Amino acid sequence: MSPRLRRLLFLACCALVLPAVLHVAAHMPRFGDHSMPYGDLINAVALAERHTTNMVSAINFDYRGFDTLGEEMMLLCAVGGATVLLRGSRGETESEPQRVPGRPIIARADSTVLASRLFGAVVILFGLYVVLHAMTTPGGGFQGGAIIASGLLCVFLGEGYPGWRRVAPSELFDALEGGGAALYALCGFASLVMGLPFLQNMLPFGQKGDLFSGGLMQFENAGVGAAVTGGFVILLIEFLEETREPVPDGDEEGDDP
Amino acid sequence: MTLQQMAVLPVAIPLLSAALILATAPILPRRMPDVLAILIALCCAGLCGFLADRSAAGPIVTWFGGWTPRGGQPIGIAFVVTPAGGWIAAFIAALFAATLVFSWGFFEKTSAHFHLLMLLFMAGQIGFCLTHDLFNLFVWFELMSVAAFALTGYALRSSALSGALNFTVVNTIGAYLILAGIGLAYSRTGALDFAGIARGVSASPGDPVVVASFCLLSTGLLIKGAQVPFQFWLPDAHSVAHSPVSVIFSGAMVAIALFGIAELYWAVFASAPVVHALMHGLLLGMGTASAALGGVMALLQRHVKRLLAFSTISHAGIMLIGFALLDRQGVSGALVYLVGHGLVKGSLFMGAGILLARLGGADEIGLRGAGRQIWPAGVAIGAGGLLLAGLPLGVMDAGLERIWDAARLAGCWPAEIAICAGLVCTGAAVLRVTGRVFAGLGPVPGEEERSPTEDEREDADRPLWLMLLPVAALLVLAVPLRHDADRIGWLAAQALMAPQTNAILGMGRLHAIVPPPWRVAPHSVLPWIATAAAILVAALQLFWHRLPCPLAHGFDRFAAPALRGLSALQSGRVADYVAWLTAGLALFGVAASFG
Repeated sequence: MSPRLRRLLFLACCALVLPAVLHVAAHMPRFGDHSMPYGDLINAVALAERHTTNMVSAINFDYRGFDTLGEEMMLLCAVGGATVLLRGSRGETESEPQRVPGRPIIARADSTVLASRLFGAVVILFGLYVVLHAMTTPGGGFQGGAIIASGLLCVFLGEGYPGWRRVAPSELFDALEGGGAALYALCGFASLVMGLPFLQNMLPFGQKGDLFSGGLMQFENAGVGAAVTGGFVILLIEFLEETREPVPDGDEEGDDP
Repeated sequence: MTLQQMAVLPVAIPLLSAALILATAPILPRRMPDVLAILIALCCAGLCGFLADRSAAGPIVTWFGGWTPRGGQPIGIAFVVTPAGGWIAAFIAALFAATLVFSWGFFEKTSAHFHLLMLLFMAGQIGFCLTHDLFNLFVWFELMSVAAFALTGYALRSSALSGALNFTVVNTIGAYLILAGIGLAYSRTGALDFAGIARGVSASPGDPVVVASFCLLSTGLLIKGAQVPFQFWLPDAHSVAHSPVSVIFSGAMVAIALFGIAELYWAVFASAPVVHALMHGLLLGMGTASAALGGVMALLQRHVKRLLAFSTISHAGIMLIGFALLDRQGVSGALVYLVGHGLVKGSLFMGAGILLARLGGADEIGLRGAGRQIWPAGVAIGAGGLLLAGLPLGVMDAGLERIWDAARLAGCWPAEIAICAGLVCTGAAVLRVTGRVFAGLGPVPGEEERSPTEDEREDADRPLWLMLLPVAALLVLAVPLRHDADRIGWLAAQALMAPQTNAILGMGRLHAIVPPPWRVAPHSVLPWIATAAAILVAALQLFWHRLPCPLAHGFDRFAAPALRGLSALQSGRVADYVAWLTAGLALFGVAASFG
């Protein structure tokens, strides 16, 4: 199909479907006029039944905790898939990314190193804070895990590639990712072993608004935090490998160990 | 352990073991992931079969986290095992087990990542079959999509990567449409559980928002189910993925998307009259078009995997016809056909994998007569071809007879013709391949007839018997179980078409699934005619060069340009596919407005 014909087909079809779309839009519930029985019910019961003040976490980890297990595995799957494709297309068959000699290394300014060291520590600490406060304030394992991983990226910024590879061995983070996801799944099996439905929250719920309220949700949240941290770092390792094209000439300084 | 608790295991076990395999990959012994994955798949197959068998006494309902509905208002996620979803899940797990045996040792270069992806792929498909929650359905749909994207690109040739890209783009658009459909359903009904939404739908059956939700959901699933005009991505992806992956794609993934549409229709939307009209009109038309088009395109291919990919479109079309007739006979036929076709198509793709591993290619013309040493594979492929053509033997035929009977009774002659065309063309194409590759029939190819394909040899690192074992197992399963499969299909159709909505919401008791009295699947003369016609067409194609001149000449003059036009549509450019996707959406818009 020529680009012109394709555009014509596309626009004609859009024109055909437009009246139907407008018709549906006219029949949508008006803005702000939703009756949301599900949200009302959760708001009414979650604080009393689960002692968490972050309703989003209560939904994510308890009411619809099984969805989150699925999402967790989707992350595992996406990271695993990306790893296979990137390593494979770089021609690496080993599980560990290879070091190609002769890749360039760019010297850092002292100010960059200092800023990275300062910020890296603060960002990682903040990520841990977000993970820990899942039950009380907005945030949780997903968000916190992503923040921790970006804090680790500051190591690359400040210490350069060799420093980055020293703190981020891919086997460790594979284990963190898989272990975190397994912890979440094991929470479900723990309920089964106790004769309860899968993922039923059977631990004490703690004080309302307390850092450690929510019972089993704490473990699920920790599992998500570990898995997301691991997954993101693995992706960063692979992406950084991608940017390090070997330089054809032999005159740059290498970073051989 | 109660049945309710057990219903979670077929998904939870592969998820947990995938995570553990990833975490411990460096310290696992070399063959361990292979062994583990096969055992897990077998264990899931057994579990699903057991649960499906028990669910005849009443659907097995389990609420995750113990969140049972409050006053008829669902607040958690449920799995509901019925004979329909349960047996299909058991079939999927069994197909995975066979595939993992087939790919024994094949993927050890990339540590355990292949097994990680396969286990998650399986968990996604089983979860898709068992879930009773629209958003949860989307989660499993996405899990299986993400795994499938990565597994397609796994082969890492440029064709594999571009096929995977087309697959990813088109299917991701489909996922967005599904998500939009979920949003519309939720905005109108305030629920995500099938039974909860169904209650909202029956309260306002004529609501355009409900109809739009069905349109978007079924478009997304039809993309995955590769029905005209959403089918273009499938041949690009299925023909380039490694053959063990193609086995699952064609045998299970495509078919369960169509099962998803049927399940959503009866569990959620059946009380909306416009949706009924769409299902019986537009979707029936799409199935008819796919059955015919897939067959004709299969006949035109010379790359064996591409040929099989087109035949999958055709047979999925036949399944969709069965569902869209909205008749008990048709639905039970489509469910049985899903399993029968999966077994046969799985063994055929494994056959193609044997060609790639042993003969170093899958180009039919280039391999003329090359398959004599591996004749057992030829026997298997030939048997698969005959079964595809409708040979009245085994599970596939039981399903076909019922779909055919339903189409005949409904007076739907275009569907009847399309089913015939699909059977004859796909069967003939596979038989032609068998004849050419394994018996050396057909003209000797000239140098210019060799296709300029890239090297796509798959490693021949395992003995032939190990590769033939799962092929034989699938074919053996596909043949003698005709009677049992048909009886289970009859029960499953009842479970699918009469969901116990109120009882699942805790208002009333779950009761046993009691279908109307079962009659043996009819025997008609169609399968014999189709098989004979397929053999005839295969022979015609093989001995084309010996035909009297005017006949061949006339064909070249009139039919060939049309066929070239059809082939040109399959351009390989993802922008074209997206344009066709829009055309499909427009079809839905127009049909819903006038239906």
